Amino acid sequence: MTEVTKKTPKLPEAGQWPDRIAPAVLVVGIVLSTIGFLLAFLWASPVNGAGVNGAEMIGGQMVTNVVLLSQKIFYFHMPVAITSFVALGFAGYYAVRFLMTRNRRFDTCSKIAMEIALLFVACTMITGDLWTRFEWGVWWTWDPRLTTYLILMLIIIAYFILRNAIDEPERRATFGAVLSIIALIDVPICFMVTRLIPSSIHPVVVREGGMSGDMGITLMFCLAGIAMIGFALYRLRFRQVRLTERVEVLKEQLED
Amino acid sequence: MNPILTEIYSTIVPSMPFIIGAYVLMWVALLVYVLIIMVGYKKAEAQMAVLEEAVAERRAD
Repeated sequence: MTEVTKKTPKLPEAGQWPDRIAPAVLVVGIVLSTIGFLLAFLWASPVNGAGVNGAEMIGGQMVTNVVLLSQKIFYFHMPVAITSFVALGFAGYYAVRFLMTRNRRFDTCSKIAMEIALLFVACTMITGDLWTRFEWGVWWTWDPRLTTYLILMLIIIAYFILRNAIDEPERRATFGAVLSIIALIDVPICFMVTRLIPSSIHPVVVREGGMSGDMGITLMFCLAGIAMIGFALYRLRFRQVRLTERVEVLKEQLED
Repeated sequence: MNPILTEIYSTIVPSMPFIIGAYVLMWVALLVYVLIIMVGYKKAEAQMAVLEEAVAERRAD
């Protein structure tokens, strides 16, 4: 007779090493974002728009096009969008771990990652919409990238509505996990749609010749800064939720 | 300003409210989330202190 041993999964817990580095990561993230913001406006080359009827010397360079300042939104728009995708990746991972182990700690992690994803999706929508309003003259257009990203946002909102609608914790966690995985499936669709559908008018930086070195370095500062802020927010929220969960357990013990 | 420079800089001022709006709203959203975490943490900490006192009292009885 063979003895089946079930390995206990290592559970994420408040107070572990990520919590110890989270405050420092938050500070570094804010510093890098601030540097990125300054580089975006003071160092990175401006992007040119339509040609003008002539040329002028500006800062030692011949300028023959309209200067598009609105492009500066991109330096934070792309990092918050990428961070929202990463957060959804973690939410999906923890959802799978929950379905495999049925341990509610993974559901907590998945829920917090979904919260972070919603926060960064909101930031992406805000920055993208203001750019769209100025450059395209409309608040919204049914461009494939915008549409798939809207669907992603609606899935995340549906996730929280669903969680609030179900009282039984096990069912709530299971349905939530399924919705997290559905949201994760939408991520590559959303990312690739501008490449798959040529009629998409959403700019694709890499396909359209990439960025100059100064623009790339500026973007890296913003991306690193925002990703660090996302990580720190996740850990801070996780610490708070775990403390609240412990309070609830203690309350139940006292009531018994 | 000469007409060519006026044309080159023609989008700068009109785009300003949108750029400022994008940056301000994004940071406000992040700050609000941090505040929600801080308030929740303080509240949970206060509840934990009260509950720990209650547990200690019960043990003492």
